Amino acid sequence: MIKLENVTKTYKTSTVALREANVEIDKGEFVFLVGASGSGKSTFIRLLNKEETPEAGHIYVAGKDIGQLSNWKVPFLRRNIGCVFQDFKLLTNKTVYENVAFALEVIGRPRSVIQTQVPAILDLVGLGHKAASFPDELSGGEQQRVSVARAFVNRPLILLADEPTGNLDPATSVGIMRLLDRINKTGTTVVMATHDRGIVDTMRRRVIEIDRGSIVRDQARGVYE
Amino acid sequence: MPMKLDYMVRETGSNLGRNFTITLASVMTVAVSLALVGASLMLRTGVENATQRWQGGIEFVVFLRPDASQAQIDAVARDLQDSPDVANIKFVDKQAAFEEFKVLFSDSPEMVTSVQPDDLPPSFRVEPMDKDVLSVEALGSQFSDKSGVDSVVFASETIRLIQQLSSRLTVGIFVIASFLLGAAGLLILNTIRMAMFARRREIEVMKLVGATNWFIRVPFMLEGLVQGMLGALAAILALAAFRPFFQQWLPNPQDFPLVSGFFVSGAEIAGIFVLLGVVGVLIGAIGAGVAVTRFLDV
Repeated sequence: MIKLENVTKTYKTSTVALREANVEIDKGEFVFLVGASGSGKSTFIRLLNKEETPEAGHIYVAGKDIGQLSNWKVPFLRRNIGCVFQDFKLLTNKTVYENVAFALEVIGRPRSVIQTQVPAILDLVGLGHKAASFPDELSGGEQQRVSVARAFVNRPLILLADEPTGNLDPATSVGIMRLLDRINKTGTTVVMATHDRGIVDTMRRRVIEIDRGSIVRDQARGVYE
Repeated sequence: MPMKLDYMVRETGSNLGRNFTITLASVMTVAVSLALVGASLMLRTGVENATQRWQGGIEFVVFLRPDASQAQIDAVARDLQDSPDVANIKFVDKQAAFEEFKVLFSDSPEMVTSVQPDDLPPSFRVEPMDKDVLSVEALGSQFSDKSGVDSVVFASETIRLIQQLSSRLTVGIFVIASFLLGAAGLLILNTIRMAMFARRREIEVMKLVGATNWFIRVPFMLEGLVQGMLGALAAILALAAFRPFFQQWLPNPQDFPLVSGFFVSGAEIAGIFVLLGVVGVLIGAIGAGVAVTRFLDV
């Protein structure tokens, strides 16, 4: 599903964010990216989404070399990839329902699809009763659920999560992780960057550790360190 | 890809409403500059129409009698061509005179229907070698007594003055108007940028979930286009409303009999209005296009 071959990414300040990375992730896997701040976890995720382009190496997503992808095709790559962030990135002037519907609307899905998909996904994340609320009226955990719903409403092949529990307390984080686990069980590949030792140690999934741009550990059913 | 029309219209509308004052400023700037362009075009067309027979260095016109025979016409033509003081002549036959008459009196159809080509005098338009007033008059009066000649009419100082004045005025107005048009374009660019900045979070989310760039771009470009179009519309309305005053303000035909028809016909007005509309839309679309492109690198 995802394959990195000798991928190197350097930023203008000549800091090496990722060096000679070789990773293969199969369909349906759940992978934790761990490492200190600035180690290159976010770069890893942004490369998969083609928000960044590597200097060297090849990245394959769903069998396609995304380095060869022309700019106008990037939106179509992103329709297969859902994204969840630490800061939720919800639109505060739209309701929960509208936030999720927006993701379908802007990729041109017909209204009938939106009207069936959005309530279904809100029920899945347990927020069916909050559809008419605005993000500011929700707790952090609820906002992150909305963000997960938005990322998953289009049934992407891959879900990328950049520290999705970074702003949440441990109990709420567990709820979000259960949700991501459920999504993973539907066959969606999940790649999650995290600092949360507790989550990594209890879930016991594949762990890839990055240290100053280099992959130093790749362990099935791994722990934080 | 399927562009959702209702979405585009909704977004454009809410963007226009959001920055109402700035939208108004750019619309007004477009309107004022286009109105100036339109007014100067109308002025120029009017002067051209009024002094049509005096274009291109023509200094006097030899009018023949409507019933002049072909032999008489040929004789006058020969004399004119043979004269060493004549640089150029142009013969206007009855049919051509009628065509000009129709243009000059296009606003009064009853005049046009009451006149036949045969009623009008053919004429020679003469460009002399020496443009000095005295020598032109000396040359012209040689022809006033020839057989078949009805009268000789000279370009007066007034006509030259009007021509000069109008060409200077036109240039001046055009310079001012082009500066204003530039300002209008920049204002539109700025409005679009502010609109995009206000919605940067939405744009970010749109890009993340895989909206195409065109999908994001189109509402903003429509916004600029609408601004340009509204400005052009306002300019056109203003010009249409002021057209009667414009006509009155021009020299009175009784005072200057030769400036018989200082006016702009309906077709010419329509042409000017279409031009203004096109320029307005282009200014809006280009301004918006530049703003969007700078903001939207993938």
